[in-house]
Amino acid sequence: MSNKLSSSVPTDREVVLGILNNSADALNKLYTGHFPMILQFILNNNGDEDDAKDVYQEAIIILYNKIKSGDFELSSKLKTYIYSVCRRIWLKKLSQQSKKSNNIDDFEDVIAVEFDVEQHEAKDLQFEKMGESLLNLGEPCKTIIQDFYINNLSMQDICEKFGYTNTDNAKTQKYKCLQRLKKLFFQS
Amino acid sequence: MRNDIELDGIIDDYLQGNLTADEAAAFEQLRANDPAVDHKVVAHQVFVASLKEYGNILFLKQQMNNAHAGIDVDTLAEELRPHPSMLVNLWRKNKSAFAVAASFLLLTVFSIYSIQHNSKQNGSYEVMRREITNIKNNQNSQNKLVRTIISSSKADRGPFRAAKFGGTGFALTANGYICTNLHVINDADSIYVQNSKGDSFKATVVHRDSEHDIAILKITDNSFTPLSNLPYKLKKNSIGMGENVYTLGYPKDDAVLGEGYVSSRTGHGGDTTQYQVSIQINPGNSGGPLLDNYGNIIGVITAKENNVDGATFAIKAKYIQQALNAIPEDSLGKKVAFSKRSPMQGLSRTKQIDKIENYVYMIKVYN
Repeated sequence: MSNKLSSSVPTDREVVLGILNNSADALNKLYTGHFPMILQFILNNNGDEDDAKDVYQEAIIILYNKIKSGDFELSSKLKTYIYSVCRRIWLKKLSQQSKKSNNIDDFEDVIAVEFDVEQHEAKDLQFEKMGESLLNLGEPCKTIIQDFYINNLSMQDICEKFGYTNTDNAKTQKYKCLQRLKKLFFQS
Repeated sequence: MRNDIELDGIIDDYLQGNLTADEAAAFEQLRANDPAVDHKVVAHQVFVASLKEYGNILFLKQQMNNAHAGIDVDTLAEELRPHPSMLVNLWRKNKSAFAVAASFLLLTVFSIYSIQHNSKQNGSYEVMRREITNIKNNQNSQNKLVRTIISSSKADRGPFRAAKFGGTGFALTANGYICTNLHVINDADSIYVQNSKGDSFKATVVHRDSEHDIAILKITDNSFTPLSNLPYKLKKNSIGMGENVYTLGYPKDDAVLGEGYVSSRTGHGGDTTQYQVSIQINPGNSGGPLLDNYGNIIGVITAKENNVDGATFAIKAKYIQQALNAIPEDSLGKKVAFSKRSPMQGLSRTKQIDKIENYVYMIKVYN
């Protein structure tokens, strides 16, 4: 059931449905639709374009995970939710940089999203760790692990891609890689 | 080592659901029997899940970066960044406040407009007034409420010629001083006053107050016998709006009662020397006394608004007193005076009129 989006500005329902159906178009429209709002907020509160991008992408990830996890209820507008999350994240960043964070210039309504943001921070930490571990893992282990666990390639595909003589060799290689990755991940 | 690799492969297959039903059952049996294997499965599952999530988020970030690349960030930023001008910043931050202010302003302008619209009507009202004032100066005007007596059939003991104009007057003293409007007797050759019984007496003007349109006459006729004590008093204090008032006048040959209420404390165009009362009056009522419920004289009926129904104007009683003061005290004898208590207080309207009737005169003017 793929949802064809008719208008350029998707409704909140369309966005939620689109994300649940892995529609790239829905995500695209959601992203481009609300970015100016956040850009304005960040630019007017001691930030630059890159800050806006980082904060905004984090907020979209939070929203995305929330929708994907299935416990998302449209209790407010997506716009308000995104704005509130971005505001929260940016306030935290500002206080970390010990910049002044009073006198925040608001452009939208704000709802309470502290819990979502904190949950995300824990996940984000894991994400960073995983990324770092994979980076340290080096090639070809990194690609093998990514292909098998993330891209869901079969052992046969990997075998052919990397030119292993048989799948057992590939399996052994994958096992070793995974063991090293686990070590790297839990050590750091 | 070899076993570990195989176990790892089996766990992967198990978690991905690639095992056959039998193999899965056997593996579950193994899990149940061997806690070490079970632990491995759980740990592996958790780790793979976080790996997958990493992958998902990586993919999401890729998508977002693609979307981001499609946005003209620089132009947007230029548009949205805090403007160097204070004014633009102020506008952006307080859009909603401005909106409220603007709607308030709009409302105010609207109200002012409608008020002005109303006063426009007032303006034409004043124009009408000017007309009336013009007419006021004109002796022949009907609006002066001077009744033009065309054919007075009543042959009275006075002159046998029919009177030209008529008005109303009322006694200020027992010895024959009568108050009326100046415009009633202006340019008169001779003046006769006729009481309710039909007796006419010759009178002369003893005081003219053109400012307030008040005239005081004195009955000079020999046949006149002094009246008994006056039943009414002058009420100097300003009277409240809505107070019931009445007047007795001679728009025809017999006295006519007019009843109403004080509709404004000021007369035409805010003339503070007058009241506006809502009484239907007709030519001939000019100079009639305006009395309140307690039988106090509060004014003298003088004119009415041309195009407005029931807008009648009466000179305040204060100015009667002023006119009286101009006449030597000795000649007045026992005059009406301001007093707190009215002699007719508590009497019914009918009784009051009964008493007053004898003190209200028709003024007949010949020229």
